[in-house]
Amino acid sequence: MSERLERLINLTATLLATRRPLTLDELADRLEPGYPDDLAARRRQFERDKETLRELGVPITVETTDSFGGEQGYRIRPDDYYLPDPGLDPAERAALHLAVTAVEVGGFDPLDALRKLGGAEGEGAGQAVATFELTPHLGDCFEAVTRRSVLEFSYRDEPRRLEPYGILHRFGHWYVVGRDRDRDAPRAFRIDRLDGPPDLGPRDAFTAPADVDPTDYLSSDPLTYGDDQPVRAHVLIDAARASLVTGALGDDAVVEQRDDGAVVVALDVVNRDAFRAFVLDLLDHAEVLDPPELRAEVVDWLRALAAPGSAG
Amino acid sequence: MSPRPLAGPRLARVLAIVPYVLAHPGTTIAELAERFRVSPREIEQDLELLPMCGLPPYTADRLIDVWVDDEGAVDIRLAEYFERPLRLTPAEGVALVAAARALLAVPGADTDSPLGTAVDKLEAVVGVSGRLAIDVGDAAHLTAIRDAIEAHERVEIDYYSYARDEMTTRRVDPARVFHALGAWYLDAWCHRASGERLFRVDRVQAVRATGETFTPREVVASDDADGALTGLVYHPRPGDRRVTLELGATQAWVADELPLDSRVDGPDGSVRVTLAVSEDAFLERLLLRLGPEAEVVEPVEAAALRTAAARRLLARYGS
Repeated sequence: MSERLERLINLTATLLATRRPLTLDELADRLEPGYPDDLAARRRQFERDKETLRELGVPITVETTDSFGGEQGYRIRPDDYYLPDPGLDPAERAALHLAVTAVEVGGFDPLDALRKLGGAEGEGAGQAVATFELTPHLGDCFEAVTRRSVLEFSYRDEPRRLEPYGILHRFGHWYVVGRDRDRDAPRAFRIDRLDGPPDLGPRDAFTAPADVDPTDYLSSDPLTYGDDQPVRAHVLIDAARASLVTGALGDDAVVEQRDDGAVVVALDVVNRDAFRAFVLDLLDHAEVLDPPELRAEVVDWLRALAAPGSAG
Repeated sequence: MSPRPLAGPRLARVLAIVPYVLAHPGTTIAELAERFRVSPREIEQDLELLPMCGLPPYTADRLIDVWVDDEGAVDIRLAEYFERPLRLTPAEGVALVAAARALLAVPGADTDSPLGTAVDKLEAVVGVSGRLAIDVGDAAHLTAIRDAIEAHERVEIDYYSYARDEMTTRRVDPARVFHALGAWYLDAWCHRASGERLFRVDRVQAVRATGETFTPREVVASDDADGALTGLVYHPRPGDRRVTLELGATQAWVADELPLDSRVDGPDGSVRVTLAVSEDAFLERLLLRLGPEAEVVEPVEAAALRTAAARRLLARYGS
């Protein structure tokens, strides 16, 4: 184990220090502890080492060398490898330590990252105040934002091309937001709903607006997601659920206070499925007052469910 | 991940320690152990490795030079190529920035703090300045509850139980609040239930002082976040009612959102699912939302529940 560790350190050092790409033969000639003489075993060992380094995030580039035959050569470009110094002071490092202990990010050991920033300072937090899960493909989407690479992916079986401007976590889900190239419109995509890993295009493929705020790309009210023609609806909420609903929608939604404690709320409906779900979730504590077409939609829906001998 | 990647974490540590010592010569082994959160012995083992490492042809002038004096102060030379730590991986970057942004988004947090400046600097070197936003939301009574926790004040809350669709009033000793799965939760001792309970803060309808204080309990089963999380999600018990539904493609979201006992995918996107449901109100709402296209396969009581609920709602519309 320590022999392999030595070789991994030496391999990293050699690839970082070299000014030109080195072929596997050149590396095998130079490195200690060395690679096996048998060519197949040598290639296997080297691939294993490369994989270990790749998992750590060591950026090895593969280039065609100038040598006869144009063999593959390897190197690590210092600019790709070196973390620029963020210039953190001890108070800031302690604050970050506190943050990563107060906020747990599932499946992530914050010490790995803190060590690169100069280690853990201070005591950290005793108890978590928030927990997040990391979603598959979140790292890819984040990297695309940092590199300004166009993301190509399939979303609900539709191919999409997105200029990713930012990442947003809202309602317990991760979203990548930006400009949809094909629709030429702002869009937000739930990252855990991507059909598979996204492809990252070349670096610096677009310029994001200077003052992007990812929160602008996704309404904080799920009822407003949708492309239906907006319709203003009024819903009567019983006294028993009035505070619950106004707490969720905000006081601005209330257009009428009744003597018995009931309220009438106004909603701009752009997604009729979401609206119906909102109303039905309140069971018999809510009633759609108008417009007539929305009221009729709910009534028809309920009639189909109430009819004796209806499907199911 | 392969079963033998022990070299990985240790390599990562060495690649972080060397640049630190290069920038801070004379740091002691004890300080390094504290800073990198490993034992002094592990630091020594890492340092013992380094004199075998360097550049070809591994002559004395090409090998890394490590000095440790009697006080344990460490000096490293001939390792300039490791002068900076390895960049953050995308996962590390997103997790660090997310943790900091989340803490800054907690209502009442001071954004003009060392954490605020730290995350700005971090985002700048990663290249995502202002591009990662965490919305932890707010809840009407979050501040009142946090104040009660701080002062160990027993409070009376009006609480809406979603699964049962009922409003209750209870006295609680609030222990802590935390954010998970997109919502704020209150972990408290509930005197009505005579036990520790988790409450969603956005379903707390009122908080009233009782004038009483309490002695914080010697915690609570769910100290770690994982333990707390298992309390948040409904975990079916063997005795809970099971319902089998036949869903069309447009209702298949149920399979994404709810824990299922089983699912069988049919042709043309239909899916047959079996899930556990303990409360009537929960099942009523699920079936009403799914609508007439969803078929209740069994039990017949569930279909009857749906019909009765639909008629009850229709009565409001005079139909």
